[in-house]
Amino acid sequence: MSPTRFASEHKWIYIGAIVILVGMAIAGLIKYSTVKRDTQTAAKANQLSEDLVAAGYPAPDTETVEYVLGTDGGAVCEDPGSALTTALQRIQQLTNGATGPGMRPIIADTKAIGAERIVLQVYCPEKVDDFDEAVDELKTDDTVRR
Amino acid sequence: MSSMDVPADLPKQPSAAARAGSAATPTLTWVTLALMTTSSVASLRAAPTMAVYGLACVFLYLVPAIVFLLPTALVSAELASGWSGGVYRWVAEGLSKPLGFLAVWCQFAMTIFYYPSLLAFVASTIAYIIDPALASNGLYTAIVIMVLYWTGVWVSSRGTKALAGLASWGLIIGTLIPGTVLVVLGMVFLGQGNPSAAPMDSSHLLPQWTGLASLVLIVNNFLSYSGMEMNAVHVSSLKDPAKEYPKSMFMAVGLVLLIFILPALAISWVVPADQLSLTAGVMQAFDAFFSYFGVGWMTPIAAVMLISASLGGMLTWLAGPSKGLLEISRSEGYLPPFLQKLNKYGIQQNILVTQGVVTSVIALMYAFIPNVSSVYWIFSTITTQVYLIVYLLMFAAAMRLRKSQPDHPRGYRVPAIGLVCTVGLLSSLAALAIGFVPPSQFGTGSVWSYVLMIGGGLTVLGLLIPWAFLKFRKPSWRTAAAESTGGPS
Repeated sequence: MSPTRFASEHKWIYIGAIVILVGMAIAGLIKYSTVKRDTQTAAKANQLSEDLVAAGYPAPDTETVEYVLGTDGGAVCEDPGSALTTALQRIQQLTNGATGPGMRPIIADTKAIGAERIVLQVYCPEKVDDFDEAVDELKTDDTVRR
Repeated sequence: MSSMDVPADLPKQPSAAARAGSAATPTLTWVTLALMTTSSVASLRAAPTMAVYGLACVFLYLVPAIVFLLPTALVSAELASGWSGGVYRWVAEGLSKPLGFLAVWCQFAMTIFYYPSLLAFVASTIAYIIDPALASNGLYTAIVIMVLYWTGVWVSSRGTKALAGLASWGLIIGTLIPGTVLVVLGMVFLGQGNPSAAPMDSSHLLPQWTGLASLVLIVNNFLSYSGMEMNAVHVSSLKDPAKEYPKSMFMAVGLVLLIFILPALAISWVVPADQLSLTAGVMQAFDAFFSYFGVGWMTPIAAVMLISASLGGMLTWLAGPSKGLLEISRSEGYLPPFLQKLNKYGIQQNILVTQGVVTSVIALMYAFIPNVSSVYWIFSTITTQVYLIVYLLMFAAAMRLRKSQPDHPRGYRVPAIGLVCTVGLLSSLAALAIGFVPPSQFGTGSVWSYVLMIGGGLTVLGLLIPWAFLKFRKPSWRTAAAESTGGPS
């Protein structure tokens, strides 16, 4: 195969990759709706802040909480008890610092699990039982210095 | 450099794949190889996790870097600057050919389980962009894994140069640019006079010590750097391997450290640890970070960038271990001829396709096995255990080669190689031992059943299968094309 033809074929691979990634970015931007802050989001964020403080956590930045969790808890409340969610979405909370093939589960921090439960209590209390069932058997420890 | 410094076997004895038409002339620059190596190992995925540890994340990355990354990087720099072919060749030369096969088999077998977990992360990130509800849909996850894997095989089958470019750009777009944005925003945050959310004083330099859990965290972080040696299999694609590979490796070490440490620190400055814990997932953590600055819309763009980095990393893994497996199998006849077949670009297409079949089966498990999380964690631990066999063999081979072939030309020589290899060996053994400690997911299960599962998986995948290939190989499996290439002698 001539170098010209070889490079030409690579060009289409690059173009294809760029089109797909840019397409996803545009779709993401369209889909991403910045949560309009209102009295409801503020009330939820304040309630979360109070519950966290009562449970021994420091008060979070409520403005950021309003943006991230809105009124419905956003992705945190998206089927939190499912096996797949447990396996994949919490991958980062329960693993070491590897991002390559060295990724391995560790003994997670106790408060990391507890904080998520409080979010569910505030934003989607009906899903707390599912979550408890999913994380009930997790072994945790205080591995984060606070 | 004098001609004596150039390993005689590098430019003069191209690999089997090269002879078959893939790369008779240099196809990679040392910078590209450094980017490929970095792409194989590091991305921003772990930044929110490690940000939770605050300043201690520096310790959690630096200590493993000293005891595992440096030995791995230095030793592979010396070996690759002296012998072409990667880990199989080093171990074959230093220890024995069957052990060389074992080394590259373990490196290859590990990836079979790595791809599904990596691509499942990509699937959940795409779901975050399109519809978060998809993340808990097993069929969706399985389809995404299979589509992306087979696309990766197709790209890889076009030749090393195609994937090298994509992997390099994946690193730049998906890791270096967003990583720089995170660090700049973090510095802006501090520059505005805001106090760091995570305490940055000397009392927070070390992670919390709670005994076994802390030991598991620290030792398992050694594995953050696994894969640094993998791209050495492409060393013969460099113009001057003896000189350029060490440069490439040192650049990769610097990049990997920067990518792991600085973005994690930047996030810890802005988002308090407990607030990071409120968000169940990587993208939600990035959302919290960007939302603080009022640029939450950057989250889906960051998601796409992370996807490109993950896919770039996958491409390097598709091309590396399978190429090493092919090369030793062609010269020694360790695999059936079907698996040794090359396509017109000199790529080991049948190995990749066979691997793809297994990957697809694993992907289908996401769709049809309800309690997938148990399977997932067991696989990920077994694969890292299997990979550690590679390092044990590599360090042992390096020490042996220095004694058995002290005058063999090497472009780079590790100072105090005995000490460096001993540290690497002990670190690998420690990580292997810690792999038998049940993680959070097995909290209430029996310790012994966990040990049996991991030990059984390690034995089957890392020892029994390669032993079976060696035991049942036939003389006819040794291909004539490879015999003439001057493979491991």
